[in-house]
Amino acid sequence: MLSRVAERLYWAARYLERAEDTARLTLAYTHLVMDIPDTAAPGWDILVRIQDASDNFLQRHRAFNELNVLHFLIADIESPGSIQSSLIAARENVRTTRDVLPADVWEHVNELYLYTRENAEGSVRRRRRQQFLDQVIARCQMITGLIITTLCRDHAYRFIMVGQLLERADMTTRIINVGTSVMLQEERHYTTVDPLIWASLLESLSAMGTYRRTIGPLVESAAVVDFVLRDPTLPRSVRFCLDLIRRELHPLKNGDAAMRVLESAKRSLARFPIDGASRDDMHRFIDRFQLRLQELDQSIRATWFLPPKP
Amino acid sequence: MPTTWNAYDCGRFYDELITPKGQPRVAARRAVNLLRNLSQEEVAARRAEAELAIKDMGITFTIYSEGKNIDRVWPFDIIPRVISAREWAQVSRGLAQRCRALNAFIDDIYNRQKILQSGIVPPEVILESGNYRPQCAGISPRFGVWAHICGSDLIRDADGRFYVLEDNLRVPSGVSYMLENREITKRVLPELFENYNILPVDDYPSRLYSTLASLSPRFGPRPCIVVLTPGIYNSAYFEHSFLARGMGAELVEGHDLFVGNDDCVYTRTVDGPERVDVIYRRIDDAYLDPEAFREDSVLGVPGLLRSWKAGNVAIANAPGSGVADDKVVYAFVPDMIRYYLREEPALASVKTYLCVNDNERDFVLENLDTLVVKPANESGGYGMLVGPHATKAQRKEFAGLIEANPRNYIAQPTLALSTAPTYIDHSVEPRHLDLRPFILSGKQSWVTPGGLTRVAMVKGSLVVNSSQGGGSKDTWIVEGSV
Repeated sequence: MLSRVAERLYWAARYLERAEDTARLTLAYTHLVMDIPDTAAPGWDILVRIQDASDNFLQRHRAFNELNVLHFLIADIESPGSIQSSLIAARENVRTTRDVLPADVWEHVNELYLYTRENAEGSVRRRRRQQFLDQVIARCQMITGLIITTLCRDHAYRFIMVGQLLERADMTTRIINVGTSVMLQEERHYTTVDPLIWASLLESLSAMGTYRRTIGPLVESAAVVDFVLRDPTLPRSVRFCLDLIRRELHPLKNGDAAMRVLESAKRSLARFPIDGASRDDMHRFIDRFQLRLQELDQSIRATWFLPPKP
Repeated sequence: MPTTWNAYDCGRFYDELITPKGQPRVAARRAVNLLRNLSQEEVAARRAEAELAIKDMGITFTIYSEGKNIDRVWPFDIIPRVISAREWAQVSRGLAQRCRALNAFIDDIYNRQKILQSGIVPPEVILESGNYRPQCAGISPRFGVWAHICGSDLIRDADGRFYVLEDNLRVPSGVSYMLENREITKRVLPELFENYNILPVDDYPSRLYSTLASLSPRFGPRPCIVVLTPGIYNSAYFEHSFLARGMGAELVEGHDLFVGNDDCVYTRTVDGPERVDVIYRRIDDAYLDPEAFREDSVLGVPGLLRSWKAGNVAIANAPGSGVADDKVVYAFVPDMIRYYLREEPALASVKTYLCVNDNERDFVLENLDTLVVKPANESGGYGMLVGPHATKAQRKEFAGLIEANPRNYIAQPTLALSTAPTYIDHSVEPRHLDLRPFILSGKQSWVTPGGLTRVAMVKGSLVVNSSQGGGSKDTWIVEGSV
């Protein structure tokens, strides 16, 4: 497989996953805000901050109010993390790699792109937001389903999976950051809405039911963080994603460097002492861990993708 | 109510399907009769179906265009153009003969230059041409073939004979439309295929594969063939991807290839470098190799020409082939056929006046109102003067251009391009057309049965280029008298 094609598949998968995860988080957060009394409601700025996009946001908006933030996350094509931007990029990458993908994949990606182009602007307000986000999530899942059930297990599949899983792991760490950030803010308000927050974040990972069954009905921060970081059976946990990335990288040639980075990320994940950790500790750990994921991304690029143009 | 064929009148032009008396030509009889009996609603439904099919199959043409109009849908007319196999056999022989002579010519020019020494072709016409690549001198590719894929434009004049209008030897395009047009016709007019023996066209990709495979410098069961595209923003990208898929070949961009220290060409893959045997390039010579040609090219592969010269990779068409793709050189093709093959041309060429010759230039300047003037080295129908349709000011402008740079202009009589019935709104009207068959040359040569028929959709227009409002039709070569 051409390095260029591998690279484009990897990015197509990352962008699709980013669109889905942003939709999931935005949806869960909207519900959370509706559940909490106004005086204690967490700010919308958190959703921008976890994308490390505050500077970009503040260049075009003065205030982190709901409509500004949601426009930035859903429709703004100047924001590289928005759902619309992610899908434009995903489509562009799929368009140029259609030859190695099942024909339906291109058609569905293209339809999703057209749907978003048509509806993103009008879905910023609460009235139509839910329906739009549900559609984005469902369509992304359909595309992933198509790939899993029809794409032959070759290099194309591997690079798609690695891209998707790496993005997913990254997003899961960011979701934990939402939780810890909300609690840091909340300390100012002296109200405790902890369980609501963590429950909604579990919801965004489709993990609430599993949590209740395997951990218990009480939603408590250390247990949730441990669960979404380290549960080996939860498909959106960081641990699960890293395990799968290892499986997909294994058959590739020249993978030693990437494997080393991966193993060291797994070790640091396993060693982090969650029980005694303060909110600040968690925050710092997540920040450091995100750097490791970036390192893995760089190692994958350097090993298998095209060298940068001279 | 059937669509109105009765009022159909092609005037003084030769019509492909209808005789001057208004009867269908023999080969086209069944098709015309069937179409004539379709109701207006039925015709509308089939045309809508064709449009839908084009959208489905060619999402690629349409969807590209957001904001920047990168590609467009090409209008397709569902009435096929029908040619009898007997007539086509003659044309096909003529095309193959022409390609043999053109390849012998290119090979000669880059080697002994016999034809220049013998005074048949004036040396300055060739050696001063922008298409002559001195870097290619001394090379003789396998089988002596340089232009492996040639697209020749044919037209039929009022006398009913086919003439060659030009030979495209650089990177001719359009073959994917030929294949798609057949697919669409099969979908929307399936009953026509019941009573006809229509020569199939869909083996083109496998013929192309065999031609390219025969050029491989290494022996082995499956040579590594790649299609080199300038990228997704090229207007023919759809075709590049279509042909790569059809051949099971990798579609690559310049950056995907590199030349190793051993002067062999490799692709960059996730498993490491893989050696390439044959490059079907869809990039112009000038951009092929920044070391040999234009330094600023980012589309090409540094060192490619070196590798080709060392015989480590085959390039189709070979760099430098364009030397024979020039409207001045065109005028000498009949002489080339006689010189290299000792045969008489089986296909007629159009009388061509070279403005570089004093007496011919005088004739051209005096007759600008009846002639067509073309730049020697331009494609896509740009920079042309169609005398009879031009204004006085335009003719004056061209007279100036010709005097300033006579080598760059040729003139030909205005041809009465043949017509064929074409659906325009709710009626059937004559529209002018041409035909681009494709000739493959490698170990063996092969001519497509038919080719791409291009139609000038604007009433009375002679310009069939897709870039200037042209459309296309399916082209049938039919066997047996029907």
